[in-house]
Amino acid sequence: MIGSERHSYGVYGVAIRSNLRLGLPEYSHGAFAQVECVAGHEAEFAAAIRNARFDSPRGSWYQYAFLPDGSTYVRWDAVGQFLVSADGRRVVCRPDDEASDESFQVYLLGQALSFALVMQGFEPLHATAVVVNGTAVAFLGGNCFGKSTLAASFLGAGYPQLTDDMLVVQASSDRVVAYPGPPRIKLFSKVASTLTLCPAMTPHMNDGTDKRILTLEEPSSCASTVELRAIYSLVSPRDACRTTDVRLEPLSRREAFVALVKATFNRRIVGQDRMVRQFSAMATLAERVPVKTLSYPRVLDRLPDVRAAVLADLEQTSN
Amino acid sequence: MTVAFAARVSVAPDVMFRLVGEEGVLVNLATERYLGLNAVGARMWQVLSNARSIQAACVQLLTEYDVDEATLRADVEDFVEQLLAQQLIHVGSPDPSPPS
Repeated sequence: MIGSERHSYGVYGVAIRSNLRLGLPEYSHGAFAQVECVAGHEAEFAAAIRNARFDSPRGSWYQYAFLPDGSTYVRWDAVGQFLVSADGRRVVCRPDDEASDESFQVYLLGQALSFALVMQGFEPLHATAVVVNGTAVAFLGGNCFGKSTLAASFLGAGYPQLTDDMLVVQASSDRVVAYPGPPRIKLFSKVASTLTLCPAMTPHMNDGTDKRILTLEEPSSCASTVELRAIYSLVSPRDACRTTDVRLEPLSRREAFVALVKATFNRRIVGQDRMVRQFSAMATLAERVPVKTLSYPRVLDRLPDVRAAVLADLEQTSN
Repeated sequence: MTVAFAARVSVAPDVMFRLVGEEGVLVNLATERYLGLNAVGARMWQVLSNARSIQAACVQLLTEYDVDEATLRADVEDFVEQLLAQQLIHVGSPDPSPPS
């Protein structure tokens, strides 16, 4: 994965300069931020975290530490380690020997990159998005809420994915746009099989999960920036456990604001600067994009009903 | 607690307010809490935070809502107490009258 050649990739609207071969499209134009991702040596990480105080629980497979120079160290066992500079413009990374390229890239371009983006002043959302009639439709939700599974249902019906798990949006004077993430989706094997996406021989996300990483190609993946048309906040599986129907309920703007703030990506970085930024960014989003709750039974054979309800709702709101 | 209607409401220094549509959202950076206000609450916040006194805010709100004065004063008092409890405002002396 590591070579001497320098690459320039585009993802989430960000230009990634790297000496790593990443499964991303080449950078074209219009990036609003830049991040340099470079391979590091073990000694570099060892020196950085000497005397560091780790905030994560002892024994956790995910460890992170905020270092005295303002940078952040993050590590996932059997995946790799990452050092994100204080200004968010540089990520030094090193895969563990046992990590697959795909698994390492999922963490590099998801969690690790989120530190860089937040440090640069952006507010990614914990969301998966698909493209319907040329516009983005986002599904907000926490881990294991079913965002990717629902997106896979749209994929199976011919609607491309824009991003999985992390969504970057930008508001301009006349619209809110959503940027494409890496062309891949993470799904449990059973979900991928049921939805006729082929999980065979695809790598696991990590040792502790059956989730697999499926690479998408056009037309299943959208590589363009598109307008964000609607946001659906998924009701947690626990709260929806007694639900038998698919229900969509509009949120008032104040309720939408709360849902959006709760869905901001990366809760490790805290502080007044970030709160001010979240307040401003999520209030703007709540004003500009309709947000609804989406409640449905977590049964795979009901996914076509959920998809149909979302499509009908989009159709209705466009009239 | 009794609210002095002659007093003036001022927004706490670490508090930000923003209208979203007709509703309002607030963040208190000191307590690290986000809060939401419905349309009436958002309007009360705007009027209270700009009025010379709570009494002046009541006079303004009476012109905007179909409500009797006693009910409005009770609602405003309750609202101010909630804002104080959330450390969103300070209540101090009224602004001096402008020179005539």
